[in-house]
Amino acid sequence: MMLPTLLAAAALPLLQNGLFVGAILFSLGLVGILTRRNLIVMFLSAELMLQGISVSLVAWSRYHGDFGGQVLVIFVLSVAACEAAVALVFVLQAFTRTGRLDAAAWQSLREASLPRSVDHEIPAFNDAMPSFPRLTQAGHSPATDEAAASQRDHV
Amino acid sequence: MTPIASPFTTVSLPTAALSGIDWLSPGVLLAAAVTCLAVSLWLVLPKAGRSGTFSRRLGLLLGAITLGLFIATGHRLGNLGEEAVLLTVSLVAVISAAATITCRSPVYAAIWFALCLSGVAGVLLVLGAQFLGVATIVVYAGAILVMFLFVLMLAQPSGLTTSDRITNEPLLSAVAGAVLLGLLSLSIGRLSADAPACCRLPTKAAALGATAESTPAASVDLLAADQVARLGGELFGRHLVAVEAIGILLLIALIGAIAIVSHGLEGDQAETSSLQEGRQA
Repeated sequence: MMLPTLLAAAALPLLQNGLFVGAILFSLGLVGILTRRNLIVMFLSAELMLQGISVSLVAWSRYHGDFGGQVLVIFVLSVAACEAAVALVFVLQAFTRTGRLDAAAWQSLREASLPRSVDHEIPAFNDAMPSFPRLTQAGHSPATDEAAASQRDHV
Repeated sequence: MTPIASPFTTVSLPTAALSGIDWLSPGVLLAAAVTCLAVSLWLVLPKAGRSGTFSRRLGLLLGAITLGLFIATGHRLGNLGEEAVLLTVSLVAVISAAATITCRSPVYAAIWFALCLSGVAGVLLVLGAQFLGVATIVVYAGAILVMFLFVLMLAQPSGLTTSDRITNEPLLSAVAGAVLLGLLSLSIGRLSADAPACCRLPTKAAALGATAESTPAASVDLLAADQVARLGGELFGRHLVAVEAIGILLLIALIGAIAIVSHGLEGDQAETSSLQEGRQA
């Protein structure tokens, strides 16, 4: 009777740390899915919440010495894969209809009593584009026949 | 004997109230950390009206302070300082998760999410789930995330749109997330084996709803060498029906995705053909 109590006391900090990391991931995912407008980033935030849940489940599994939590995480992974497949199809359909990945493009589906949200004061994107490395030019470019190059049957 | 009303009594009251607070107690630290988290998330999130590199930098600084406060709080709440490896990988996971939701470019957000996944895989490894740690990297970072990136590159190849530069209700959402995290970490910090009966940790028997007749299986050693084999045995032994169900679910999702795509294409063609007929008529 004494040994399991001692083991539980030693495992408690690990359980708390795991639950704490899971709670942070879940909260950050919640903030992301509430605020972000890009459909893909919203789904990334949902996946972030699922990761937080997985970490919590594995921490409980370790604490209780039982494989049940890990088995549940395997099911979470499978459901996340299904969700990603179906959700990406919906996102692609939405993109082909509106041409945007913006969630506000579908705000005609809102409640009838809510006002239409219009974006004001959109900040200019003035961050300079990142400078990517370029290969140094080696030699001269050969003279090519443009017409022949566009009509060749294989590359 | 009447007490003489000294003018200093009224003055000294607030000071006494202030000095009565232990400024390093976990509750005060947690409150400060939660406030810092809300303010820094609000500063870093893209907002309407300002481009704000200064506020983003201030938000990043506040985020670093928040991390320090949470580490200090966690050291008192649990024992976060002991496990250096767990601390490192969870810092990787948490920082890149924050970068995922605050990064303006969706492509960069997806790549930060990949880094977050590797941090989570490290946390799972520390917690003794080797198979899940590897499966997270293979399934999430290898398959799902690549699919997300593919859709991003397909749909939005020309960089940022306006909707990536502003967010819905950044202040309210940051406060909501920070308050949720504060409440969760309060309740996590109160977990202990010898707590009063109201908030005691559930034992394994209680968690499984065991009665006197059905005692749960004894605790297994999760860190044994044949851990993955035992996990497979558990998965295909006790949970065989659930495995079959999840297989059917995967099949249905596959068929459903294809059906939605092909039906959408037919619908588009029908719309365009009816439009053309309308124009001709």
